[in-house]
Amino acid sequence: MTEKNKLSRRKFVALTGGALVTGGILAACGETATPATTTNAATSAAATTSAAATTAAPAATTSAAAVTTTAATTSAAVTTTAAATTSAAVTTTAAATTSGDFITSKSGFKGTLNYWVLGYTPGGTGSAFNKSSDSAVAAFSKANPDIKVEITGYAADNAGFAKIVNAVQAGSGVDVFRIPNDSLPPMIKQGAIAPIDDFLTAEDKTDILPNLFDLVKVDGKLYAWPLWVPPVAMYLNTDIFKEKGVDLPGMDWTYDQFVEIAKKLTFTRGGQKVYGYSALVDPGLVDTWPIIMSDGALPLDATNTKYTFNTPEGVSGLKKLVDLALVHKVTPPDFGTQKQDDILTAMKQKLQAMWSRPSGDAGTLKAAGLNFEIRPIPIGKSGKPISAGGVGLVSVTPNKDAAKQKAAMDLARYLTSPQVEKDVPGYYLAPGARKSVSVVDPYNKFTPIAATAWITPSLPAWTQIRTLIHPNLQNAIFGKITPEDALNKPASEINSLLAQK
Amino acid sequence: MADVALKKVKVSRQSPTQRLSGFFKKYGWSYVFVLPSLLVFAIFTLFPVLWAFVISFQDFRPRGGGGWVGFKNYTDAFTTQDGVFVQAIKNTVFYTLVTVTANIFIALTISSLIQPLSKYVKTFFRAAFYLPAVVSAVIIAVTWRWMFNTQWGFFNYLLGLVGAGPVRWLSDPDIALNSIILSTILTVPATGIVLFTAAMDSVPTDYYEAAALEGAGAVRKWWSITLPLIKSTTLYVVIFYTIASFEIFEKVYVMVPSGVGDSTQTIVTQIYQTVFQQFRYGVASAQAIVLFLLVASVSVLQFRFLKSDVEY
Repeated sequence: MTEKNKLSRRKFVALTGGALVTGGILAACGETATPATTTNAATSAAATTSAAATTAAPAATTSAAAVTTTAATTSAAVTTTAAATTSAAVTTTAAATTSGDFITSKSGFKGTLNYWVLGYTPGGTGSAFNKSSDSAVAAFSKANPDIKVEITGYAADNAGFAKIVNAVQAGSGVDVFRIPNDSLPPMIKQGAIAPIDDFLTAEDKTDILPNLFDLVKVDGKLYAWPLWVPPVAMYLNTDIFKEKGVDLPGMDWTYDQFVEIAKKLTFTRGGQKVYGYSALVDPGLVDTWPIIMSDGALPLDATNTKYTFNTPEGVSGLKKLVDLALVHKVTPPDFGTQKQDDILTAMKQKLQAMWSRPSGDAGTLKAAGLNFEIRPIPIGKSGKPISAGGVGLVSVTPNKDAAKQKAAMDLARYLTSPQVEKDVPGYYLAPGARKSVSVVDPYNKFTPIAATAWITPSLPAWTQIRTLIHPNLQNAIFGKITPEDALNKPASEINSLLAQK
Repeated sequence: MADVALKKVKVSRQSPTQRLSGFFKKYGWSYVFVLPSLLVFAIFTLFPVLWAFVISFQDFRPRGGGGWVGFKNYTDAFTTQDGVFVQAIKNTVFYTLVTVTANIFIALTISSLIQPLSKYVKTFFRAAFYLPAVVSAVIIAVTWRWMFNTQWGFFNYLLGLVGAGPVRWLSDPDIALNSIILSTILTVPATGIVLFTAAMDSVPTDYYEAAALEGAGAVRKWWSITLPLIKSTTLYVVIFYTIASFEIFEKVYVMVPSGVGDSTQTIVTQIYQTVFQQFRYGVASAQAIVLFLLVASVSVLQFRFLKSDVEY
């Protein structure tokens, strides 16, 4: 055999590799393929999600709801249909579930459910999230001995949300999970969430605040059990107020009063600097946004189709936040890049006087023995109190095993019920999403604040939009760009995202 | 002569099937032995890479759907978020240039200082320097984050002793990337030290003895004998550190989880953000392919300029 005609190993490997790459390129350059057919019913429903979620109807604010929300208007058009289609299911489910008994699962499922909890730290003892979740799950398991529930925790920041979203989208290891409303739409779009309509009783429908349903409704179907509305409020470290002889502000305090207090509470104690104010600035959080909105600006218009943070009111609001760091110098030097642990430690060690934060950490600070009070976010030029927050939800992933699906829904329903608060007093770490839920101190202090909260919109593009806004807010806080530039820079890209159907 | 010509004609008439059969007859067992390893490589490396390449031309969705979009993901990769990916490439190239240069210099210097020592002392130092390499990168990053803390960090404590500072190591956009680079440089380049000391040990002592007879000093011997003779190891170490630097992620992710504007964005943190926080799988795959092309190009250049034909 001559060398010329011999098929060498090198040639063989090269030919195989070449064939693979050529195949890839040919496939890529081919005509637009028809999207793969999905067998999942939820997926087909979700295919039209973005259009439904971004097509807005005029605002239909409901007085019974404890929130003023632009997102509540997103699917008003489909409300009637949803009510009509769910009524049959409601009758069936209501018959299957004893009225008032939220804890007993009649699913017949025997096995393990995986429950992912926001803010839960495995083995952690000091966190309010840990105690409430552990106790609630223990109560459910006691009432349903055949069902074992395993808890997995994830952090309340952008990285944590990425972790849960990807675990859910991967389709394994998560049966029930807690999530804020603005992180839910991409998962619904992917068909990774099971609709709850067939498991919702008539009592649930009248008990849960109706405009919260609007936040989880896509194409007429409901995709989550609303749990609570944790609004951002101001935590006051009262021992520092006493130490400096500063009176606690009233419920209607203004931004100027806030600045004056923050200045008085920024001082040096035994070589250690105490700061008047700080908050987390993270793409997954809106803890500083109420200050930006205090002059009357909202991030998006009422129909969620236009970016409106770059109005004069938004610019002056951001300037208020920026001035705290650059002009009044009442924030720690790392303001803008701090982690939650940094601020929690500073609060516990009485090195920080005020912190704008949702209600969830109130229990943690109380458990740590900290003396604190809650106040609304200071009022700006708008003359009205404003807060911000997402709605805490409990969702369920789709499961082909009907018994397991029912068991997961039963667990989700129990975890968002008034009964769980009776079984585990202090379970609710924020004002509840049901009219029948009453929360205990210190979370009840957030109830009036929830009524003023702007709720993050349930839009598929929201996770991307907040990532576009975030670095610009940081750069303004660092003094690298003006507040006006910071809010104008992402405008065109955000508007084009909002325009996509 | 006629016989030879006849033979050639016979061979050239072999069909492709016969040639393939002959190939497997000769090399078949070799491939059987490497098959398990090849399969693992194909499933866990080759297939994901090729799939990422395909996805980079699609509007991909994990649970089905998504069509072909041509080169749209590639243009989106560079234009989205006000072109932050370009900033990420610049940051990564800067990080790579500084840290690879510093790591090679430090590894070479430490190895050269260890090399003349006795066998046992040398082993002790090798082990000591390699110790940080077995510690989790996340733990190292958390420790650095603490040391860089503006209010109670170690560095500002030291600066405070001489009345300087405080410096906003991880919250000033003009400093943050440099702080991350500093943390990389000050973490001993363990792999480089181990490889360089091994390479230096293998240089025949005859050369050093001959050079000593000619009156060469320690520096001259190092420059004219050691460095040229460990060139192939240097090439490997440079490529190793270059690839690792281009893929910098966990340090940035742990030290500045919320970012510092866009000043600490690197290629992989940007890919992570695109895929795991924005769920744009196609754009993220396009960015990953760009990273692959960048690393491959730089590696080819390094091979071209650092290739060694020295044998001893």
